[in-house]
Amino acid sequence: MQGNTACAEGALAAGCRFFGGYPITPSTEIAELMARKMPKIGGAFIQMEDEIASIASVIGASWTGVRAMTATSGPGFSLMMENLGYAIMTETPCVVVDVQRGGPSTGQPTRASQGDMMQCRFGSHGDMSIIAVSPASVQEMYELTAKAFNLADRYRVPTFVMADEIIGHMRERIAIPDAVEIVPRRPLEKGALPFAAGEDGVPGFPAFGHGYGVHVTGLTHDERGYPSSTDPHVHERLVSRLVDKIEGARREMADFTVTNPDAEVVFISYGAPVRSVEQTIHDMDDERVGHLRLRVVWPFPDFALATFKSARVFLMPELNLGQMAREAARHTNVPVVPVPEIGGELHRPDRLIALAEGYL
Amino acid sequence: MKLMIDETRCKGCNLCTLVCPYKIFQEGTAPNRRGVVVPVLDRPERCTNCRLQKLYGRVLCGVCQMICPDQAIRWVDEKPYNPEKVVIEY
Amino acid sequence: MTSEQQGGAVRGFQDWLRQDRLPHIYCTGCGNGTVINCTLNAVNGMGWTPENTVFVSGIGCSSRAPGYIVTDSLHTTHGRAIPFATGVKLSRPDLHVVVFTGDGDLAAIGGNHFIHACRRNIDLTVVCMNNFIYGMTGGQGSPCTPLGAISTTTPYGCNEPPFDLAALAVAAGANHVSRWTSYHVKELTKAIRDGLETPGFSLIEAVVQCPTGYGRKNKLREAGAMVTWMRDHAVLMQRWRRMQEEGLPLPPGAFPVGEFVRRNLPATGVPK
Repeated sequence: MQGNTACAEGALAAGCRFFGGYPITPSTEIAELMARKMPKIGGAFIQMEDEIASIASVIGASWTGVRAMTATSGPGFSLMMENLGYAIMTETPCVVVDVQRGGPSTGQPTRASQGDMMQCRFGSHGDMSIIAVSPASVQEMYELTAKAFNLADRYRVPTFVMADEIIGHMRERIAIPDAVEIVPRRPLEKGALPFAAGEDGVPGFPAFGHGYGVHVTGLTHDERGYPSSTDPHVHERLVSRLVDKIEGARREMADFTVTNPDAEVVFISYGAPVRSVEQTIHDMDDERVGHLRLRVVWPFPDFALATFKSARVFLMPELNLGQMAREAARHTNVPVVPVPEIGGELHRPDRLIALAEGYL
Repeated sequence: MKLMIDETRCKGCNLCTLVCPYKIFQEGTAPNRRGVVVPVLDRPERCTNCRLQKLYGRVLCGVCQMICPDQAIRWVDEKPYNPEKVVIEY
Repeated sequence: MTSEQQGGAVRGFQDWLRQDRLPHIYCTGCGNGTVINCTLNAVNGMGWTPENTVFVSGIGCSSRAPGYIVTDSLHTTHGRAIPFATGVKLSRPDLHVVVFTGDGDLAAIGGNHFIHACRRNIDLTVVCMNNFIYGMTGGQGSPCTPLGAISTTTPYGCNEPPFDLAALAVAAGANHVSRWTSYHVKELTKAIRDGLETPGFSLIEAVVQCPTGYGRKNKLREAGAMVTWMRDHAVLMQRWRRMQEEGLPLPPGAFPVGEFVRRNLPATGVPK
């Protein structure tokens, strides 16, 4: 099946029962499948008037306790930023699929890129932290979308599935599991303050319509949910907790694979370029060339770089001008070399082989 | 029932003074402890609600309570009047 | 009425307020306080409970209201109250959703969502507190500021004609539209009650006074002055229509109040 189809199927299997979206190439197929299937399983589908309304309806639906998602691409992603900041501030779990395309602006609607990786982390205003996963195959579109819902509910934060047009539109055979593991939200205990940190910094979820009487606001709020925007201590406590609950849990939610940990030249990749790198590793068949393949990209697993103790250089092929390479470079003294490829075509394995050999 | 203006909430806008059909409110003269000039009641027995709410079992006029932006107007039960002996001296 | 008057058995509108957060931040004589009272009276009169009612609002003075109400509430981003409310309503059609918004929140930044909600006929009740100004940010002109009015961003008099929100809703196909002012408290409560009862999209535009933001610059400094202005310039719908039919000249500054339209169109988001 198609990547976008697998993404939607994975979401439905994970219990997603609300989709509010707007058509945009190359993610429209997700909305179309949701439009066909949601009414049959008792969920709700609505095509909103723009992406801002789409993410707003998803957040509203999420507050009633329902797993909700939307799917978009670059230009729509930019529009959603204010409301995504709202979701982060109010700790609303939701899943946003960004099938990245050539940018900036209208760019290349039918070509792939990974140009939104920094935007998903830093796109909205203020200090915050999010979770982003990056599928590299149609099977992973299914699995990682389902996993994204569990991560979103666990940490009460918007989780991004950063796919791209190649993965979204390719067709592969996949194995659909009988059931997907669903880890639901922890409900708030009655009588507890709605925004007081739980044992891991994540409060229980007070869904609407269950008598919690919770006031949800994007203003800086105290543990009762009441706006308290002028007190510096309240703000510092709140924003620090929002960031720490994600950054502090980066080891728990890390998901990466390591090939040839004793390698000297190491490729780091995520998303579609993983396919090129895996082909490169396979063709070279050399233990001195390794591969760190990230599935959970944000929060960035800095400790993963340390598993390559003999690494002399990290090569990061990306479909952008080196966005995640900047992040990787922050965490290690080993030189990180970005290998950009913009324009929509994947890195060619023979060129990657030549590059790796140049460093050996 | 007795009409009470909650002085911790009243901000002295005098909208109640404007809308009361029986004109039982008058603008106050002196500021209270918060610096607000709270309206004073002028012959409040003319208020239909004060007199008849107990009888009818529902709010009768209540326009002042509804228009008050600060939710400062309430009716409370009043203790019954104590009859007093009046001695007239010639 | 308050519950203390009837032995605590019957809920009054005061019971819907978060008493620990009062007195609220509204200025002296703000019309928003009045509209909150009317809305809570109407909601209470419907027999709804705080457990099955949700208030959604945008940003602005009007939208601070849900913070003072005991129900579940969503204080969202500027202009986007309606799509948030749409998400809530579609996932839980059994919940009653009321939207508080303001003139700038609804007609400026939220204009697109407003007309689509009218078109879609989603089962919401929108109470728009139209004070002709952006009050919370200090008194800037809004799309409803009358021509020639002074505000901080129109210091030489507003040179853009204003929106007529009720007419806009009617033209966008809304199911039920009415307008009253914060002077007409009884009629406003009844109109909100009608909107809550009507399935589908209902807009109740409440013209309110903003003595601090609008009134001070436009010679209506006292709260009572603007309320008197509203009383004198509001024309009942019957009379307005009759004057239009007879071709009589409409007095300057006058505006019609009452129910504009009731279309009984099929609604979205109503529980089956």
